[in-house]
Amino acid sequence: MRFEEELVELLPRLRRFARGLARHASDADDLCQAAIERALKSQDQWQQGTRLDSWMYRITRNLWIDERRAASRRGVHTPIDDAVTKVAGDGEAGVEAGALRGDVDGAMSRLPDEQREVVMLVLVEGYAYREAAEILDVPIGTVTSRLARGRESLMFYLGEAA
Amino acid sequence: MSFDPETIAAFVDGELDDPTARRVERAAQNDGALSAEIARHRALKARLTAHYRPIANEAVPERLRMSLAVDDKVDMSLTDRRATRRARFGAIHWGAIAASLALGLTIGLRPWLPVADVATDQGALIAAGSLAKALDTQLASNQSGDAAVRIGLSFEDKSGRYCRSFESRSLAGIGCREGDRWELERTLRAQSRGDYRQASSGELAAAAAAMIAREPLDGAAEQAARDAGWEHNR
Repeated sequence: MRFEEELVELLPRLRRFARGLARHASDADDLCQAAIERALKSQDQWQQGTRLDSWMYRITRNLWIDERRAASRRGVHTPIDDAVTKVAGDGEAGVEAGALRGDVDGAMSRLPDEQREVVMLVLVEGYAYREAAEILDVPIGTVTSRLARGRESLMFYLGEAA
Repeated sequence: MSFDPETIAAFVDGELDDPTARRVERAAQNDGALSAEIARHRALKARLTAHYRPIANEAVPERLRMSLAVDDKVDMSLTDRRATRRARFGAIHWGAIAASLALGLTIGLRPWLPVADVATDQGALIAAGSLAKALDTQLASNQSGDAAVRIGLSFEDKSGRYCRSFESRSLAGIGCREGDRWELERTLRAQSRGDYRQASSGELAAAAAAMIAREPLDGAAEQAARDAGWEHNR
């Protein structure tokens, strides 16, 4: 199959991953578009026989991280939607357990970036820890500890009964 | 028996080796707190999966598909038959068909349209003014280099209508004869930059290739069709 055709098949999943990272649909699709352009440009760096999906997820995630870092250098704060701000007050300490019950987006947006990406890769996209570690280029122990912290926070915000 | 949170999570994620997984399973049978913890992890996972699943079922926006220039709606056998003609227009991206279609669907909202050359009638986009005149009378085989509208291919589409591709300074597209007027089936913005002009010719050729019934009209057939007022004598 052609490289482009394989990419097209990946797009539905890649959009989902991007939506988890960037949250807003238009930002997420912009991220996907940037990832596609980067992939087409660096096509020769992809090794035939290795997994294209992992490669694309890595490109997408790295572009997202770059964008997040650039935004924080510009002094742009992560947008947190009004509902979250309302229950959260000024800081996380103001959030009560279960305050975001039902608001998965709100809960996800409160996770630090490095936890959110692991949660998306393992819990939503279904990657094994080892695969997620390769995509993120971190040791597997880092994946498990970030995942554990991300899970605890999500269960706290969403009020999964303890 | 107790397990740390990471082990419980790994159990739920199917990441434990078999012996350890069996130990967790056995322990959970007699340990209400442990089985509740497992249930809590499973509930979170199910909730996240359910929340994000619909996104992967959404139609992928055209702009993303277009950037990969793949369109699986194109009949490839037709594509093959048109290969010779396509070669004349250089590289053609099939996504371009989707591109021109997408533009066509939204064109009514585009402020850059030359108002005098295009009209709408009950939702249909109709050639008017100098564009209609060019489509009515101008022959591809005999047009001046500085004509405001350049006619490209003339052909019959699969429903038997005469269609003609055209390009002007601001607008390019394909008009098809409906009664005594030209409905614009494909439209895209033309720009005077040389590379874009070439690209839009390629896009139009690709769109035409998908619509065309047989070969395009040659010079004589084009003239005969024009002289007959773009009506079939049948």
